This record gives sequence, structure tokens and C-alpha cells, in this order.
Amino acid sequence: MKITLQTKSGQFEYDCAPGETILSAGLRHGITLPYECATGTCGTCRCRVMQGDALMGWQEAPGAARLKREKGDCLMCQTVVSSDALIRVASQNVLGAFPRGHVPAHCNGAIANCRKLTHDVMQFDVMIDQPMSFDAGQFVTLAVAGVTGPRAYSMVNFQQATDRLTFVVKRSAGGAFSDWLFDTDVAGATLKVFGPLGAATFYPDEAKNIICIGGGSGIAGMMSIIERACQENYFNDHKGHVFFGVRTLKDCFYMAELSEYVTCAGPNLSVTVALSDEDTGLATHPDFDNLKLDTGFVHEAASRAMTGKFDNMVGYVAGPPPMVDAALRVLIAEGKLPPADIRYDKFS
Amino acid sequence: MSWRRICAADSVALNSLKKFEVDGIPVVVANYGDGFRVFPPICPHMEEPLEESGLIEGKVLTCTKHLWQWNLATCQMEGTETEKLMHFYDVKQEGDDLLAFIKSEHIYEFDEEDEMDDDDFFNS
Repeated sequence: MKITLQTKSGQFEYDCAPGETILSAGLRHGITLPYECATGTCGTCRCRVMQGDALMGWQEAPGAARLKREKGDCLMCQTVVSSDALIRVASQNVLGAFPRGHVPAHCNGAIANCRKLTHDVMQFDVMIDQPMSFDAGQFVTLAVAGVTGPRAYSMVNFQQATDRLTFVVKRSAGGAFSDWLFDTDVAGATLKVFGPLGAATFYPDEAKNIICIGGGSGIAGMMSIIERACQENYFNDHKGHVFFGVRTLKDCFYMAELSEYVTCAGPNLSVTVALSDEDTGLATHPDFDNLKLDTGFVHEAASRAMTGKFDNMVGYVAGPPPMVDAALRVLIAEGKLPPADIRYDKFS
Repeated sequence: MSWRRICAADSVALNSLKKFEVDGIPVVVANYGDGFRVFPPICPHMEEPLEESGLIEGKVLTCTKHLWQWNLATCQMEGTETEKLMHFYDVKQEGDDLLAFIKSEHIYEFDEEDEMDDDDFFNS
């Protein structure tokens, strides 16, 4: 099917495969359609279908709450067409080619190397049938047969043209995907992958110091960022500050990996693990003495440690929504960081 | 007479936002140091409640949900994310009282309906 897209920055045409969403079809053709979550929660990818037969799959998507359905409004990430269609997007910033980064693509994947990192955190690989390059901090969507709707997960690893994507998932109560992951033998299970996606990216040529504030599995994309930075000796010339929030010592994961990064990077990289529900009285992690320990919320730990150190900084934030909000306030009010230097996935 | 008393000026602390209801019209008052601004209580982007999502730093109001920003001294948009002006009611201080000129409640047009329906705009 042919999509004709009208925007405030011009008209574009692209092909859409049967069953493919308008969003993923446009993105894989290199058109910079507006989106954030790509999974129906945020509402950023709103469009209006002017002509053609379109069906929005997830009618109750949180991001669809304010759509004017009677006018043909729908979310591009949820909508497939069954005929040629004319759609409008009220954006002034749609380009016909990505100015930077990797054009996403569809591929097939199979789960491998499942490893429980704590009682409720699991790491797994998805081996994909076409190599993918991505920027550190990006995510893909994973769709499993039988689990309604794709989910967005950030890559933990960083490699170019790789056939292996590594993810970390924290079990969430009643979460269909995490229930499936934790309760079934998922090794070898196949899934549909689309990506890379997302703009919470790290580019070494920006030459900025970096601060990462992550809670729980929100550390995923930051691991990718630190991995790339270490691969390219970025911390020879720039500082890195990582603040990783978990509840208690037994909820910690990636400690060995983070400790190794600090060893490789030297004194310019510091990692602080903030325990919200446990006061150990320790200044460093009991097993890794180059990882600092703090007690309290992770944004508080960042605030305490970073006073006067926000010079030439770009900030990355990921985690549960209240943590993200609190961390953003630290970066804006204390760090004086402008929005261009604050990167996070706006999933709500 | 559309100048309405909102609150006592000293009831809104420096660099804070506070919501009030005046004759059934909800507003937020912001104290940015050099003065006060009075505006509708929701972000013109995606209806976030600004009393909770708003943050004032260096005379700039940020909605922390998606980092849209407005300069409270100039009333202009700030930063790289902002795409819409905030609506500011005229404001003045009389003695200890803060007053705003509110003819009627300002309602944002969230779906840019006029633009989406404007064939000329999209065809130009």
C-alpha cells in the first residue's frame, strides 16, 4: 500500500507492507516521523487519516486518550492500512532522511542466554537474523506471539552490525511480557524486532561530560553508553558520573560489569549505587570497592555528589516515572542543563 | 470589571507555583523573583498539571514532563522542545494583593484542529 504523508515541512510518499504500522513503515524509509515510545503509551505519533482504510489496533492505548476519532485521528504506531492512504502529521520537523543515526528495520529474533541477575531481574539476548547497528542508548520493540502488543526495551550492549542484542527486564506485577519471560522456558522463543529507535543517544563527538541517573532496569541504555565510552577511551578526556538506584544490596545487578568499567576508565568515571531501602553504613560496595554506596533515592545521591560539577554536561535519565521526574528536576534546577542536553525516553 | 483578586502576593514563595481558583476559573501563579505570572493550570503541550510538573529556575518555567520551557520575564518560548506559547493573563499587584485580568477562562486548542483542517496549509 502507498502512504501519502502531508506535513508542515512537505509531502512524502512511502510503501507500507500488509500488517505494518504507518509509523514503522515511514521510519524504515528514513522519514523522521514524530514518535517517542513507539508502543502506544505517549501519544506523540498522532496523525489524521484523510483518505483510505485504516485500523488502529490497540483502541485503548493510553496515548490515544485525547484523539479526535471522529476526525480520523489515530496513533501511527498502532495503525495499519488496508488501502492506499492519505495522512497528515502536524509537525514542522519531518525530514525525508535521517540527519544522524541508523534507519530502523524489521527483523526476526530468537531468545538466548537467559540469566537471572536478581530474584526479579533477568538478562537475555535476542539473536537477530539481520545485523543491526545502533547508537548507545537506543531501544527496539519486541513482539512475541501470544503477548499482545510490542514492548520497548533498551539495548545493554554496544556493537556495530551485530546479530546479538542484550536486554535486561525487571519483573513487573501483572506485566504480560515479564510474566511470560519469567514463567516460561523462553530459550529459543521467536519474536519480531523493530529498531533501532529512540533519541536518548550518546555521541562521543559531542565531547561532553556525562551523567547517568538510572533506576532498576533503566540502567540498560546507560550500560550501552558506558560500554561505548570505554571502547573509545572517552573517559581519558571526559568525566562520567553514574548513579544507579535499587532498593537493597540484594537487588543490585551489573556490579561486576560496572566495576570493570571503572577499572578500565580510571578516575574520570565514578559509579554510585544508591540503596533506597537499606542503610548499610558502607561507603563502597562490599564486593567491589571501586563502586560507591549511598543510601536514599538515586536523585538525592546524584544531587549530593554533583554540586558544582555540572560543567559541560549531558544527562541521561531512565527508570520508574517518579524517579525520572525527580532526576530531571535535579538536572534542570541544580545542573542548569538545557533540554537539548537532557536525554530520556518520554514514554508517558 | 475583569481584574480579579487571585491571592496575597506573599502566599506564593520565590521560584514556586501555586494553583488557585478564582470565580470558578483555575489558574496557576508563578513567583519568578522579578514578579509574578498568572496562567492556565495545565501545560499547553499535553495537559500536564503545571503546579506539579512545573519547575522555575533562573526565570524559566519548565514543564518537567517533556521539557517545554517558557521565559517568565519575557513570556517567550525557551529551549529546543517548546512548540507553543503559554497563555499569560495580565497581572498586577495592589498593596498585598495579586490581581489578574481574566475576562474568561483561556482554553488551549490541544489538537491543533485549525491547522489539521487547513488544506491550503498542507498543500502549500
